[in-house]
This record gives sequence, C-alpha cells and structure tokens, in this order.
Amino acid sequence: MAASVERLFTAASTIEEALAARRQGATVLAGGTWMMRDPRRGVDLPEAVVALHRIPALSKVEIEPDHIVIGAAVTHTVLGRALRAVAGFEGLVAAAEGAANPGIRRVATVGGNLCALGFAAADLAPALLACEATVELQTFEGSRLLGISDFLKDRPALLTEAMVTRIHLRRDLIASAHIRLPLRQAGDYPVAIVSFAVDKDKRCRIAVGSVEPVARRWTALEQAMAAGPAPALDPKRAAELALEHNDFQGRDGKEAEGWYRRQVLPTLVRRAVAALLKTEGLAWL
Amino acid sequence: MVVTFQLNGEDCRFDGDPMTPLVDILRQERFLTGTKAVCREGFCGACTVHVDDEAVPSCLKPVGLVQGCAVTTIEGLSSGNQVLHPLQANFEAADAVQCGMCFPGMVMSLSAFVRDNPHASRPEIKAAMVGNICRCTGYERIVDAVADCLDQARKAGQLVGGIHV
Repeated sequence: MAASVERLFTAASTIEEALAARRQGATVLAGGTWMMRDPRRGVDLPEAVVALHRIPALSKVEIEPDHIVIGAAVTHTVLGRALRAVAGFEGLVAAAEGAANPGIRRVATVGGNLCALGFAAADLAPALLACEATVELQTFEGSRLLGISDFLKDRPALLTEAMVTRIHLRRDLIASAHIRLPLRQAGDYPVAIVSFAVDKDKRCRIAVGSVEPVARRWTALEQAMAAGPAPALDPKRAAELALEHNDFQGRDGKEAEGWYRRQVLPTLVRRAVAALLKTEGLAWL
Repeated sequence: MVVTFQLNGEDCRFDGDPMTPLVDILRQERFLTGTKAVCREGFCGACTVHVDDEAVPSCLKPVGLVQGCAVTTIEGLSSGNQVLHPLQANFEAADAVQCGMCFPGMVMSLSAFVRDNPHASRPEIKAAMVGNICRCTGYERIVDAVADCLDQARKAGQLVGGIHV
C-alpha cells in the first residue's frame, strides 16, 4: 500500500466546484481505470484530483428528437443501455458495449475515454468521430464547443486548462457500425477499429481507431466512396477502395506491429459495411 | 483524508491516501483476502467486488470514489457458516473450482449477472465472463454451473429477485 500521502481529493458536486479545484491544479478523475494504472507506466499519481462522479448533470444521457447530450461522467454501460433503442447509433452502442470487459465498462466513462492521452485504442473516439460529435469543454473563461476531430488533434494543449463536460450528437444518422479486431475474441485492446456511419444525406463517415496514436476520420476513403460509380455500400467494393486509399501509418505496439494494424483495415471496412447493411436503417438497400 | 463506507454491511473507516486502490484496503487493512490482487490492470477480474451492487474491479477503484458506497466482497456473500449463495452452491455441486485464484472474482461478477439476467443464454453467460480470466481454463464447467443455477431458479419460480446477492 502507498505510504502516507497528503493528497488532495475533491468530490465536486457542481461543475463550478470542479473548475475551482482545476484552478488549484487538480487533475480530473473520472472512473479511474486509466489513471489508476499510472504507477504501472512509471508515472506518479497526481497530488490533487477532482472527481466528477457526484455532479448529476454530468452523469446523464439526454435523448431529444433532434439531438443527444451525453455527460462526461456517463459510463460505457449506461451509454450503451441508453442508446440501444435509438436508430442510427448502432455503432456507438457497439463501441460502448464492446470495449474492454464488463467490469471496466461499468466504471470507465465517456469523458475518461476521450481524455486519456496515450490511449490509442479508445473505442468511443472513432465511434464519436463517425457521429461527428461536438465536445463541450468547460474552461476558466466559460464553456466552449469544439468538433471532435479538432478536440482529438489539440487534446494535450486543451486539457491543460479545459475539462470535458458533455458530448453533443445530432440525430442525423440512419445507420452505423463499429468493428474492432482484438487478438482474443474479447477483453483486450483492439488491434484496429473501424467506425462507419451513414447520415440522412447518404454520406458515409468513416473513422479509424487504434491504428495511429490518435483516432481520425478516413477522409480519403469517404471521398472515394462518394465519388465511386459502383454501388456505394457493397462490402467487397468498399474493401477494395479501402485497400486503394489506405493512408494510415500504423503504430507499433505490444499487441501488434504497425504494418499489421494498417493491413487489416480493408477487411474491417468490409465487415463494417456488411454490418451496416443488416441495420434497420439500411434494410431497404 | 478519511473515507467512510459500508463494507459487508458494517461501517468501515479508512484514513489515508484517497487514491489507494480499494483492493489494498480490503486485503491489507481488513484482511479480506478472498479478493485477489493479480493483474492490477482491470484485465483479470480476480479482484471483482460489488460497489453499490455493481460488479467492478477493486484494483482500479480509488477508495476516495467509494465514500458513502456499499462494498460487498466474497466474504460478504456468505461467511462459510451460512447457507451458500445459490451460485456458490452450484459451483460446488459442479466441482467447478480448480486452483481457486480466479474464483472469488468469478463469483462476484456472475452473482450480479444472474441477479440481473435471469433468462440469460449460454453466449450471454460467456459474454459476462469476458473480464474474468481462469488460467486453469475451466470455463465450460463454470458456464454449465451458471446455466444450471438459472435453470433451477426458473423452475422454482424465482426470477431476478430469487437470487439475492
């Protein structure tokens, strides 16, 4: 057990209280599943932390006719359960219900998943990229909304001052899928993740996680799918386009080498399109 | 910092680092060594306990987050002198326990699962065990015992509440 440590621990009950603790230098503690492993990575735990789990506004999922708001302290389990019956968000549900293992999913939060720097295999990142989510940040100067692509790109700098409070989603998807390749059937970090969504304008949104250090949209493939003469949502054709437009630089890691993460992408795209075609939203195709 | 919570139905007070993993307090301060600290990364499930009735890994739970919560460990499920939890009785009857290292966590994960999923299928039982690794690989017999436990509860007319944690 750790020797006696004088650590400051604040369980904030309001966002303002959490911000005040942040001003004093406290690090945000969500479910703890990433931070508690800091010592194993050779990193000391922060001297001051502020926990968000007692802030009611950050622990709920609000489903409105045209949008959804997800609190940063919502767990994967709660997110999956809340969105299971919402058409179009099959991919996000699969991400929330397939990440890690059941025990972790009951604890790990949406905010924690997006804010864990160095966690390339976060499932929610590509799923929320495919949803074109907007991230609400609370800064010392007030709140700010940022597209998730920009948030993920600038995350290290943003999180020195800001705190993620909510995720906003438009309900403009007709179908989505989330395909991951773990080395075992489940329970470990995926080698690669493909999140695929189709919006009401029949536009494909494709995002990839775990292949590069930070999840990102696969714009080259999105453009190719929009331009192609062949049936847009044919699994085989989509895999061929994925092979042709594979612009990823795979990261080496203990689960897999970079070349392998990159190489499996066309297969995951094929599986993602096949899964999309089974959803209610695209059954007419 | 002082943290207070209910531990197996009794008041528990901890005075120390609020970022101490719950598993360390259970084992080293309370001598509740049924909860095993194995991987300490949330992968193996051997340290699973119930916090407010949810099965969670105690190795990644800073004690500061359990302030005011109810924590149940394997020792709280049945003292050994009492009647066993129906799931424990089924594991014993099926001779499902091998080395025993994973088992407290397995019981804690699956006791919450059978409570919440009285009509679970075999694939659902397996999915619920994803975070509990048995290095003796005795999975099939464990799945059999869980399926038998649910079957018996259904035949006895007990539903979710029939299998109490």
